[in-house]
Amino acid sequence: MTTTEQTLLEAIRGAMHDALAWDARVVVLGEDVAVKGGVFLATDGLLERFGALRVIDMPIAEAGIVGVAIGMALHGLRPVAEIQFADYLYPAIDQILNEAARMRYRSNGDWNCPLVIRAPFGGGIHGALYHSQSVEALFTSTPGLKVVVPATPHDARGLLLAAIADPDPVLFLEHKRLYRTLRGPVATGQGATVPLGVAACRRPGRDVSIITYGAMVHESLRAADALAHEGVDLEVIDLRTLVPLDRDAVLATVRRTGRALIVSEDNLTGGFAGEIAAVIAEHGFADLDAPVRRLAAPDVPAVPFSETLEDAFMVSAAKIMTAARELARY
Amino acid sequence: MGSDDGPPALSAAEALSAYTVMVQARAVDDRLWQLSRQGRAHFVITSAGHEATQVGMALAIRAGHDYVVPYYRDMALVLALGQTPRDLLLHAMGRAADPASGGRQMYGHFSSRARRIVSGSSSVGSHLVHAVGLAFALRIGGERDTAVVTSFGEGATAEGAWHEALTIAGIQRLPVVFVCESNQYAISMPHHAEVPVADVALKAAGYGMPGEVVDGNDLRAVALAMRRAMARARADGGPTLLECKTYRLRPHSNADDDRRYRAAAEVDAWRARDPIGRFGEVLVREYGVAPAVLAQIAGQARAEVDQATLDADAAPAPHPATIADHVFGTVAGAAPRSEDQRHA
Repeated sequence: MTTTEQTLLEAIRGAMHDALAWDARVVVLGEDVAVKGGVFLATDGLLERFGALRVIDMPIAEAGIVGVAIGMALHGLRPVAEIQFADYLYPAIDQILNEAARMRYRSNGDWNCPLVIRAPFGGGIHGALYHSQSVEALFTSTPGLKVVVPATPHDARGLLLAAIADPDPVLFLEHKRLYRTLRGPVATGQGATVPLGVAACRRPGRDVSIITYGAMVHESLRAADALAHEGVDLEVIDLRTLVPLDRDAVLATVRRTGRALIVSEDNLTGGFAGEIAAVIAEHGFADLDAPVRRLAAPDVPAVPFSETLEDAFMVSAAKIMTAARELARY
Repeated sequence: MGSDDGPPALSAAEALSAYTVMVQARAVDDRLWQLSRQGRAHFVITSAGHEATQVGMALAIRAGHDYVVPYYRDMALVLALGQTPRDLLLHAMGRAADPASGGRQMYGHFSSRARRIVSGSSSVGSHLVHAVGLAFALRIGGERDTAVVTSFGEGATAEGAWHEALTIAGIQRLPVVFVCESNQYAISMPHHAEVPVADVALKAAGYGMPGEVVDGNDLRAVALAMRRAMARARADGGPTLLECKTYRLRPHSNADDDRRYRAAAEVDAWRARDPIGRFGEVLVREYGVAPAVLAQIAGQARAEVDQATLDADAAPAPHPATIADHVFGTVAGAAPRSEDQRHA
């Protein structure tokens, strides 16, 4: 087992490279993934190494890409489908939710659908309404589909390898703002997977628990460092996977601090933060010293383009500091 | 277009066996409507009238070898592929032993991994892309000599997923045969209100594949066309769109009243061309089968369906405690986290 410094993007590319090398069942498919190597270059070099039968350029047909991946999975392959932006998962929703997520259940376990759908998501990159969305809540409410959101290069690699090895469909959401801005140590080697359904404590603290995922993990850590100077000690929990949810980790952190701030880049209403709040309300009520607080994006249809509007939309370290300060004082 | 007047396409044994399955399928269909009226089957969708198309298709399919991605009307097809009346009645009555779904899906969602019959949803046209993916997987694995068949009504051809499936199959020249069981109505909507051209087969040109129209009530014509299409697919010659023109002899489902959109005279005219009677005449005329043999086949089918009904009636329903089974599978090497699995 060796450890190297990689960006999030390099870690994801490396995981796909190694999965293709280690397992003949693995194939990669999507728009522009082969010759171009992906619009973010996540699949750069894979065509040259593994050939056109395993690294497959597909037409602009998102339902077709996911549906073809389902068919491949039914025959025993381990397809990794890329949807170019999470904003374009919508045309494939019937395939993801009605087909992939329900295949095992509807066939009473006779068929299963081991496929991974990778999609870059998230804002703060001037991508406007249709290159910035956080869509996880559309997918966390259908049992049968796992939803993964890595926040570090190490996790991106380890969780992607675990997702490819998983016997069920996994939606793998990669925050595009972290692709090249985030570097970190990555353990490589065949055994270095990160299990789905296990959260990580990124920073232990006494006063307020921040429960979050994706890019918001890093905003929360910045907020925690800044607030430490004011004597407010934040604990930061990175969920890593939303389905299956690590309820034990959520309830354990609330037991430690008595205060929960759930941070999400998605809209407030109907977002996954509400599910975390419900879990705490139902199972951790006696541990609370303050009301559960959600910090999320405003309830507008999507991320607007202009910088002033985008900044107003995005949850930032500064906004987290304000909310955490208030909660600590409650 | 092949026809009953063409050269003999089938051996006597094949012809008699095909006829037997057609009769068996109609007997199952008859029974399902009875059970529906008695409140013993909550949902019935008919295959009556499609038997020549479906059994003709099966004559070109190697059961358990080629993949079949069917739609909800393909009961005669799955019978021809080896499922039994008992399997279908267990499915219709939602029993635990229902091989398609263990009592989870309503009738018409046929499935058997052992027979390579792929489970489908009720979302029209969504299954064709799975057929394309299976064909892609066969190519990736270098599994020559195997093909994929998928079927649908002409109403499905308006769906986006239908277009995406044929687009990808056409670009990649994959071993898939797309069979349109063109029965002229999508519930109440006549062909001209769902398909802008006279024949679905004409659409094939836009996807770079051959399209062919056959008389879907002529078993041998369907079998011949299917064999050509399957041979092309197996020889890496690419996909085919085959349109079998037929007619649904009953309402769409037990929840439908077809008198609201079809003239009785039209239905009667098609009843007179019932594919089972028509093929029975071929057996007598060209294969020298005695009419008494046909009567015996019908009697056997009814007896088999009676027994299957008794079996299904007596079979246990799924236990309520199994409701959360098969949401997720077991992750290899993972410590059990049953709480998450159950509640996720």
